[in-house]
Amino acid sequence: MSADLAVSTTHVVVAPMLAALVTAVLTLGTRRYDRLQRVLSLLGIGAYGVGVIVLTTRVLSGGTLTYQLSAWPAPFGITLVADALAVFMLALAALTTVAILIFSVAYVDEEGQRVSYHPLFHFMLLGVSGSFLTGDIFNLFVWFEVMLMPSYVFVVFYSGPRQTAAALQYTVLNLVGSALMLVAIGGIYATTGTLNMADITRRLADPAAFGIDPAPVLGLSAILLLVFALKAGIVPFQFWVPPAYRAAPAPISAFLAGVTKKVGVYAIVRLYFTVFAAGVVDGGLGLPGLSGESFLAFFGPVLFLMALASMLVGGVGAVSRDNLDDVFAYSSIGQVGFIVLPLAVVATIGDHSFGAAATDLQVLGVIAALVYSLNHAVAKSLLFMVSGTVFDAADTIELDRLGGLTTRYPVLSGSFFVGSLALVGIPPLSGFFGKLLVFDTGGQALAAGAPGAGLALAGALVGAIFTIAYLSRAWTKGFWGDVTPAVERGEQSTVLVGVVAALALVVVAIGVGFDPVYSFAEAAAEAALDSEGYVDAVDPEVVAHE
Amino acid sequence: MTQVILATVLGLLFALGTYLILRRDVVRVVWGVSIIGQAANVYLVTMGGLTGQSPILGHGGEHPVACSVPDAGANCVTDPLVQALVLTAIVIGFGTTAFALVLTYRLYQEHNTLDLTEVTVE
Repeated sequence: MSADLAVSTTHVVVAPMLAALVTAVLTLGTRRYDRLQRVLSLLGIGAYGVGVIVLTTRVLSGGTLTYQLSAWPAPFGITLVADALAVFMLALAALTTVAILIFSVAYVDEEGQRVSYHPLFHFMLLGVSGSFLTGDIFNLFVWFEVMLMPSYVFVVFYSGPRQTAAALQYTVLNLVGSALMLVAIGGIYATTGTLNMADITRRLADPAAFGIDPAPVLGLSAILLLVFALKAGIVPFQFWVPPAYRAAPAPISAFLAGVTKKVGVYAIVRLYFTVFAAGVVDGGLGLPGLSGESFLAFFGPVLFLMALASMLVGGVGAVSRDNLDDVFAYSSIGQVGFIVLPLAVVATIGDHSFGAAATDLQVLGVIAALVYSLNHAVAKSLLFMVSGTVFDAADTIELDRLGGLTTRYPVLSGSFFVGSLALVGIPPLSGFFGKLLVFDTGGQALAAGAPGAGLALAGALVGAIFTIAYLSRAWTKGFWGDVTPAVERGEQSTVLVGVVAALALVVVAIGVGFDPVYSFAEAAAEAALDSEGYVDAVDPEVVAHE
Repeated sequence: MTQVILATVLGLLFALGTYLILRRDVVRVVWGVSIIGQAANVYLVTMGGLTGQSPILGHGGEHPVACSVPDAGANCVTDPLVQALVLTAIVIGFGTTAFALVLTYRLYQEHNTLDLTEVTVE
């Protein structure tokens, strides 16, 4: 390689991935020594957390960092990009998974932990971190697979009739999704001539200079959206969510709902707001009912319908379930609707041309989605772990057989209460600001005269009412009332309740000390919308044509 | 001509895969998933272009410009990158198919049937 191709690489970018990978391998090698394995696993998640904190501080103080694998300059090699958006998602993942792993050590039986739990956990975390950090679209596919493979095994972990059936459905759906993702990526490569996300952005922004036609990229990116929606569990790709979450061990349901789902959300923000937002189809999209020339003008209405449907399907589903895990699983579908809705609103309001500064409303919409993601990650993992603790104590999570948990387990019930109020959006908890920002986005769009903003507000209101309904139903049926025999018999585990209570405190802390969280989310949203900054940071070489 | 044949084959493979996924028998569903995965791989190879020289020195690779680049000229080379992508995808597909087959066996053990209408998720 010639010396004039100077490559800037920062090694700290791979620190979280390295921590997860090394821990996964070490815990695989120490299966015979289960105490050592557990210690290594906990140390590993600690190292992951430290890695994320160091990376976050570096990125927030010094701007976007890149890591060019094997010092190949972009776009020829694989690039990892740590910008504010990526580190926000990493911080969300680290915060949640530390609690989940401590919970797991106390929750999952020794045999289960010895066989495969810890290596799989860290491989899944590796896949999640890789998806957040990669700047290469094919590499994104690989990290998705790294993340999915352990999740298949986790869904079938208890290996009973229900688990095998749920895992088959989950696996087949995701394998079809992977094949579609490959088709979309192959097509994008053939059309744009590159796999590097920054390079795709640059080429879409100036198609004439690179001799490419942006129109096919619109269709191909629509296929990709389908795959991300499947990962995020957005309607109409939500039906795998309840069986899979119910089949998986409680801490894994917390992982899947809290973190893995957010990978789908992240991919939507990164690809459609940073990368494909640069695309413009000259002369309009040529699709009925859609005006505008930007790719976002197409994805806005599509996301809008999906978000509204998610909120309704999730709400109606959760109100009618008689099992804590089912209620939370349907609730996850509804809550993802709340995350996608502000994205859809700001995508609809207008073209976001390459190089132009994003408007305040666009930034606000992405902030709303990110803050809501953080709230959902913490609160929903809290709730799934409450459900796990209840199961550990009472051997059931059927609402009919539960009752009087408040008398028997006040701390656990208090944590459930805090988690529910956070999902509902009561101040001063983290969820209040999430809801506030979502409604603020809708309100400002309405004031700006955006089409459908009124419908967005109405949908969010109905979704919020459903949230109150299903959570108060779970509370009155399961936690209040007379103590049932199942609840009377059980004994709670101090570690499990301790983890759940600690997460409840985190929910309160995020809400009370919201200012730094908001600044972090704002930096992340600005990074997400700054396509030009993203291209500059990766700095793909200009490929000359002959 | 190669393009027409490959496009037809790809269409047939995707159709066959989709048909098998919609069957009741779990083994056929896994076959269907596997065929769709392979169809995606074949599709990926064709994305590198089919008309160019082989990108190897001494075999026509002396003019290293991929045919997908505009105005690449007559003696351009086929893009070799897609082959690297496909190798990765094949390895991943191998792992997932093996897992899906083991899962099918476990499903049979738990439910005593491979008929999907008799397997309930609830």
